[in-house]
Amino acid sequence: MDTTSHLGLLVMFAAFVSIAFAVLMRDQPKEQLTFGAKLFGTFVGSAVLLGWLLYPLPL
Amino acid sequence: MPSPSGRTTPAANPYLVCAAAWAVPGAGHLWLGRYQKGLTLLVVLPLMFAVGLGIRGRIFPFQFDDLLVGLAAIADLGIGLPYLVARLAGAGAGEVIAITYEYGNTYVIVAGLLNMLAALDAFDIAMGRK
Repeated sequence: MDTTSHLGLLVMFAAFVSIAFAVLMRDQPKEQLTFGAKLFGTFVGSAVLLGWLLYPLPL
Repeated sequence: MPSPSGRTTPAANPYLVCAAAWAVPGAGHLWLGRYQKGLTLLVVLPLMFAVGLGIRGRIFPFQFDDLLVGLAAIADLGIGLPYLVARLAGAGAGEVIAITYEYGNTYVIVAGLLNMLAALDAFDIAMGRK
């Protein structure tokens, strides 16, 4: 992975945080997987959505 | 020992468990027999911290004249022994002109905060609350 890619760093960050939260907040491996996947999708999805919403705004 | 709620109370000093969980990510859960959680935290949190340093993140100094810098330093310290190892190795100087500098800071800070959360979780388990 290109470590200077904003999207790549965002996805990797989302993966780390989702795994940690899933492990801490759920006890069963199946629940952890489901919760972690939802969390990861929400992180990445909301970041992409916010990025597009902010796209028309000038810096 | 089973509690009235049916939960088991592990025979370990919660404060020692909390200290171990802070010092070595995942150690508290491993101590309490939660091997899957402990091993996952042992891999994920130090890796996140190391990636943060690898992409030119900074370990913040304890300078409370700038409150955010001081708070970031406390968060960095949350990762435990990896923090000390990084400081001894001279890592974490940060490279403010690197495009990944802010990302690196975020990785390092959040890894510390997540380890604090893991230490509190281990404390709760040791207290029989979970």
